[in-house]
Amino acid sequence: MPVRREKRVALDNTAEVETPEHVRFRYRVAGPVRRMLAYLLDLLIRAGVLLVLGIVLAIAMGGGEAVLGVLLVCMFLLEWGYYVFFETIGGGRSPGKRALSLRVVKEGGFPVGFIDSMLRNLLRAADFLPAGYVLGLFAMAGDSRFRRLGDRVAGTMVVVEERSRVAPPLTISPPPTAAELDALPQRPPLSAWERETLELYLRRADLTSARREELAQMIVPALGQRMGVLVRDPVRFLALLHYRIAALTRPRADRPATGVRS
Amino acid sequence: MKPQDEFVAARGRDWAELEQLLSASGGMRKLPPASISRAASIYRSVSSDLMRAQAAGYSADVIALLDGLAARAHNTLYSAPPYRLRAVWELIAGDFPRALRRHVRLFALALALFVLPGAVGFTGALKSRAFALRLLSPDMVENMEKAYAEGFSKGREAGVNTGMAGFYINNNIGIAFRTFATGVFWGLGSIFFLVYNGLVIGAVMGLVTAAGHGRNILTFTCTHGAFELTALVIAGTAGLVMGYSLVVTRGRTRFASLRAHGRDIAYLVMGAALMLAVAAGLEGFWSPSALPDRVKWGGAVVAYLLVISYLVFAGRGAGARARRPQPEARP
Repeated sequence: MPVRREKRVALDNTAEVETPEHVRFRYRVAGPVRRMLAYLLDLLIRAGVLLVLGIVLAIAMGGGEAVLGVLLVCMFLLEWGYYVFFETIGGGRSPGKRALSLRVVKEGGFPVGFIDSMLRNLLRAADFLPAGYVLGLFAMAGDSRFRRLGDRVAGTMVVVEERSRVAPPLTISPPPTAAELDALPQRPPLSAWERETLELYLRRADLTSARREELAQMIVPALGQRMGVLVRDPVRFLALLHYRIAALTRPRADRPATGVRS
Repeated sequence: MKPQDEFVAARGRDWAELEQLLSASGGMRKLPPASISRAASIYRSVSSDLMRAQAAGYSADVIALLDGLAARAHNTLYSAPPYRLRAVWELIAGDFPRALRRHVRLFALALALFVLPGAVGFTGALKSRAFALRLLSPDMVENMEKAYAEGFSKGREAGVNTGMAGFYINNNIGIAFRTFATGVFWGLGSIFFLVYNGLVIGAVMGLVTAAGHGRNILTFTCTHGAFELTALVIAGTAGLVMGYSLVVTRGRTRFASLRAHGRDIAYLVMGAALMLAVAAGLEGFWSPSALPDRVKWGGAVVAYLLVISYLVFAGRGAGARARRPQPEARP
């Protein structure tokens, strides 16, 4: 029985899931704007289908009340059945969600079933109120996993499926000279946390060179002082530091002798 | 602790293979068994890669890649139970009436919330036209008086029947779904829709009766009403179950308490939708037909007996207790 528990507040828009095998992974939860775009796309598709059906039926059956009746049934199916159909057979993805790489999953990371999908989509009628999903938006704003009312009732959430790539290995150009390396301590006195920060800094491709310089200047004087090194080029200094740390664990010839401290 | 680039170089090939297996068209079910167990085995190693990467503090792109792979593999490997047509039969044969009987008190409440305002609307509109005009728009009043003035002794054109059946499906099931969905506001929305629909339907009946066409509207509505009105009340019941479980949580979080009833709620709504589809068929074709009044009254009696005995007795047979749904437990 799920018991009320102390909530862990996430700072970013991720939701951590722990599987029965105690594997933990994180989902990126989809925000309102992305979901709204997917909704608009689905709306366009539904309107398009209805329009085409209307024209085809009108031509085939020659108009009249009966066509209207069939169209109304189609409208009903599109309004209430479209999402359930696609989410059930498409692994939680309607065409609009697919286009924006969104997926509906159960809170435990499991795929949605028919009943889950039905509940979350019936509740659209409540989320829609008073108009244009305003209530749903408020519900999403008040939830760490951006769940609208329908998601909360069905126990689902909408996640972003990223197919990210791993950045290429870090290189340093021009290659470090012997003189530059000699100036550095053999084992730079950096904590694990500082090494992580250093790696993140170097891997950020979106920084302009001026900003790169500016950031480096904030940290390098302190580091230089700690290591007793006079730094002329802060950016290069950080790259060299990383090179040295990476070399420490790399089983190669350029690995420095252990146990020596400069 | 390996440097990131080395780690990526060593494990990258497995990751790419899993990515490819997951993107296979038509889902994992179509793949040969060997590929599926290969995917499962890479999934396990990816999980440990992920933990290593987090512990080692590798950069965000590596973690994101592994998170994404693990999540998608998890979602695919633990696929949802397959949907079966048999489930529709099980719903009709037992799941739906059993769910209703489990919530019979809230059904009684929903019924009262619908019938009492209906009686008020009927008597009010019967006694005073001004009362009806406060509830209904003038257009509607005029339409209703005109629609039932003639009666259906001549029947109606087939095309019009189809058109109206479509309209009833779209309109009535839509209303029932809204009656249910707004129950998420602590049941208040369902209460509102039940009372409102009761009042309006009662007022229309009263209005038309006052205009002297009571016989016409009664013979028209008596048969399909057995399905339609009952289904509306059942949809309201589902909304009330939702509201009730949000308020009486028995130590759970509000939505966890609601989800414990999720299955019942879904059965009720689906059952109501099926009943409304039957009602729409009857309302489109049987009710406006030129059949003599006596036949229609007979039909109504049969319909009510059918609905009541179905809801009371269906799914009580052997094995019904064994298949009583357990509180939601998923792997």
